[in-house]
Order: sequence, then structure tokens, then C-alpha cells
Amino acid sequence: MAKVVIIGAGVSGHTAVSFLRKNLSKQHEVVMISPNSNYQWIPSNIWIGVGRMTEKHTIFPLAPLYKKKKITFIQAKVTTFHPEGDNEINKGFVKAEFVTGNKKGQTIKVDYDYLINATGPKLNFEATEGLLPGTNKVVSVCTYDHALHAWKELDALIQRMRKGEHVKILIGTGHAKATCQGAAFEYILNVESELSRHKVRDKATITWISNEYELGDFGIDNMTMKWGRKLMTGKELGEMVFENQGVKHIKRAGVYKVEDGKAYYETLEGEYKEEEFDFGMLIPSFSGHGFKAFDKEGTDITDKLFKGFMIVDADYTPKPYEEWSVQDWPETYQNPSYKNIFAPGIAFAPPHTISKPRYSPNGTAIFPSPPRTGMPSGITARLVADNISDMINTGTDNITHLGSMGNMGAACIASTGYGILRGGGVSITTYPIVPDYEKYPETGRNLKHTIGRVGLAGHWIKLSLHYAFIWKAKMKPFWWLIPE
Amino acid sequence: MAIKPTKFQHFLMRNPIMQFFTYIYLNIKILKIVRIGHDGTRNKK
Repeated sequence: MAKVVIIGAGVSGHTAVSFLRKNLSKQHEVVMISPNSNYQWIPSNIWIGVGRMTEKHTIFPLAPLYKKKKITFIQAKVTTFHPEGDNEINKGFVKAEFVTGNKKGQTIKVDYDYLINATGPKLNFEATEGLLPGTNKVVSVCTYDHALHAWKELDALIQRMRKGEHVKILIGTGHAKATCQGAAFEYILNVESELSRHKVRDKATITWISNEYELGDFGIDNMTMKWGRKLMTGKELGEMVFENQGVKHIKRAGVYKVEDGKAYYETLEGEYKEEEFDFGMLIPSFSGHGFKAFDKEGTDITDKLFKGFMIVDADYTPKPYEEWSVQDWPETYQNPSYKNIFAPGIAFAPPHTISKPRYSPNGTAIFPSPPRTGMPSGITARLVADNISDMINTGTDNITHLGSMGNMGAACIASTGYGILRGGGVSITTYPIVPDYEKYPETGRNLKHTIGRVGLAGHWIKLSLHYAFIWKAKMKPFWWLIPE
Repeated sequence: MAIKPTKFQHFLMRNPIMQFFTYIYLNIKILKIVRIGHDGTRNKK
């Protein structure tokens, strides 16, 4: 009998736990450790943030589902990793602290045969002074409760606009190395669309602020895509969409401080500027959770497991941008020191960024971190779950499923407005995610599979995916047929 | 200078009938991406 422990019930962790339970017979134990009581479908948070959905559409409680599916659920927060065990337990374990109920505050040791670290990122609001949601007129849509608060603030702003007040809205990235530009891109366009629906669009100046070198970089070093019979770059796409919806933009900006209604940023040219706003949504930087790891004797071995995020089979040798290759990217998500530990999704430490690193004359790094959210999160979680299941079922250590982001496609559907007939979306498919200039020397990507479209169909796709992925997450009949 | 969609392109982007066909096209494109699957890169160097 084997015991597989998964940490984190987000997109990646929940996908992994679902497939492990499906693939493994009931004699094997599957354990989920998560401090959260609910599963949340994060991509729909932007619709909560504009009042078009409520949390009941995007979340559901995990405990009843896990009980029904015979998955052990421990609602606790992991604090330390002990991959060699200690003098009491002769196998790897993690220490976790209960966050709710009678045992709140107590710690538990959870041993494992295989461990999946799918903790996702820590939303590092503290890295930018004054960025905490609910302060200084800034909100967030990173979690459903943040998004609910964002809608409350936006609704109040709309009421002020109805009385004739002109307001400034600032949306984008809140740190020089933030990622997840896609979520901010969706939110700014949805806010714009909602203001039009409420007939107050003329009362707002909407500005995009981002650490991208060019619009449409999205942390994947821009992309050239097929647009009908023509080719279009992400930059052209971004400019077209913003022009069409009357959104101003500031790019190459590293926000470093927020005060009441004022964002301070440094430009790539080294200038220090500021932008005023009445409503701001600035994505924070992501960081690891600061976990510590110890060996059997209690010696700190954090460096063997973590490099901010978890160390996996990537090539972490520092090298210049010109020498980066797809081979640097991990393909098994297995920790090289402890082969029974894996980290799919956002939890793995990337070898480097995907976008070209750029520094201001003051030495400030201003460029996006690499995104690993959405489709790659689900795909990497599934392949890790399949590998572990195979290892348990066959009794071997062979890794048979590989999935590098340099040999993996993704679909990115960005909502630009909600509504069956009034909605819109930017639909992009890209292959591969990390550009491979050896295979595709011109653009780094296969143009047959890297395409873009703008229009109402994008909204329908995003809405279809919302319902499909909630179905899948609830493990309803035939859920496994829905791809990641 | 940003690319500006023509009035006809705007019409196509908003027209539910045309967009229905785009919806089918995009779903096929997404399924193709899924069908290609994923693999490693190192053994193919």
C-alpha cells in the first residue's frame, strides 16, 4: 500500500489528487493537505470583480467531495519538509499546522511515499509598499474574496460616476517582476465593458500599467500568431484591443510603492514617475512560501529542495538570454535530490524567465516572471499524477510521462466583457509555450497552432470552459474526458 | 500606430452567426493543441 500526499488544492493540486484517486485502487491512500476549505476556479474571479458572477459560481467546499471520493483531507498549512524522516518516522514527512476546528494551532506529521508540492504562489503584496488590497484605493482579483471586495469598490465608484464625477482607473502589474498580466488584461477590459454597460464610460480615464517591454508580452516573450491570413504580434494585438476600447497604457514600468491613490514606478529608462488613480487593481509579485526543509538529523537542507519555489529537473545554470534553450525547462517536475517529491504548476522553480531580462540604468530588473498558471498547471499536475500512479502500479521507478513547457501548447482565453451577446474575448492558442528557436527559427513557435482571434466567440469559450472545469473539479460523471 | 479593425471586421467580431462558426473553429484549434499533447525536449536535442 502506498501513500501519496498532495499539498495545495488549487488547479494543479486538485487535478493531481483527482487523477491519483482515479488511477489508484482504494488500497492506496491519497491525502490532500490544504489550508483552504473551498476549491476556487480562479480564472472566473475577474467576473466576480465586475459583479457579473458571485462566489457561489466559482467555489465549492472540498471536504464533502473528498469524503465521497475517499481522499483524506487535512485542512492545515504545511510548515516544514522532512524528506528523510526523523528519529521517530523512518520515511519522508511534512509537518502541518491545523488552521480550523478543535485542533487549530496544533501540528501534525504527515508521512508519505510520494509527495506532490502544488502550493502555487504566495501573493507577495508585501514586496510593493502599500499594495495590500483594501488599502490606498487598491484592490485585487487574485482570490474570490479579493474579487468580491473589488466589485464592492467598483460599484461604489460607478455610483460616484453616475453623479458626474470623473475618475481615474489604473490596472496592471504592481511590481517590477510581477507576472499574470493576462488576469490584469482581462480585468481592465471587463471594467471598461462594465462602465459602458452602466453608461458611465465617458466619466473614466482607464490606464494600463505594466512591466512588459511591449504590450502583449504576457511573460512569454511576446508572440507572433496567425491572424486570419496575416501574422500579428502580441504587441499589435494589445495595442489594437486597447485602442479599440479607449484604454491608455504605460509599459516598461516597475511599480515600487503605492500611497493613497498614487502609484510610484520606475521606468526602464531609469526615470521615477507617479500615476494617480481613484481605483487601482495591481497584480502583486509571486513568491515561494518560504518553506524550510530538514534532514534526518535536523540539519537545514532547504537549499536542496527550494530555490524560492521547489527545485525540479530544470537546468538552473545561470546563462545569458541568448543561450537559453527549451532544454532548460523541466519535463518531469521531480526533485533531483529526493525522487519521490514532485512540484507541478506554479510550485516549481523555473530555470529563468521566458521574457528577455531588462534592467533600468539604476539596476532594477523590470520584466515579467514566467507564467505557469492555467493549462500548463493542469497538464503538469496530471503528468506527475500519471507518473506516480504508474510507479505505484508497476512497482518501478520509471518516469514515462514527460511534459516540458517547450514542448507543450496552451490556449489562453482572455475575456474582454461579459454577456451572451454583448461579451467578448481574445482567444489565443500557442505552441509551444516556451519559444523553441531551434525548431521554429522564425518566431519560436509553430504558426499552424499559434493563432489569435478577437470577438464574441471568445466570451462563449471562456464561459464554456468555466462550466466544464467546474464540472471536472467536482469530479462529476466522465470528468476525466475534459482535457486540462 | 495601432492596427484598427475595419467596420466590416467589427461587424464580424460582434455578429452572433459569424461568431458561432468562429466558436467552432476555435474549439477545434484548442482540441488540436490538446491532441498534440506534450513531451520532453532533451532526448530530441
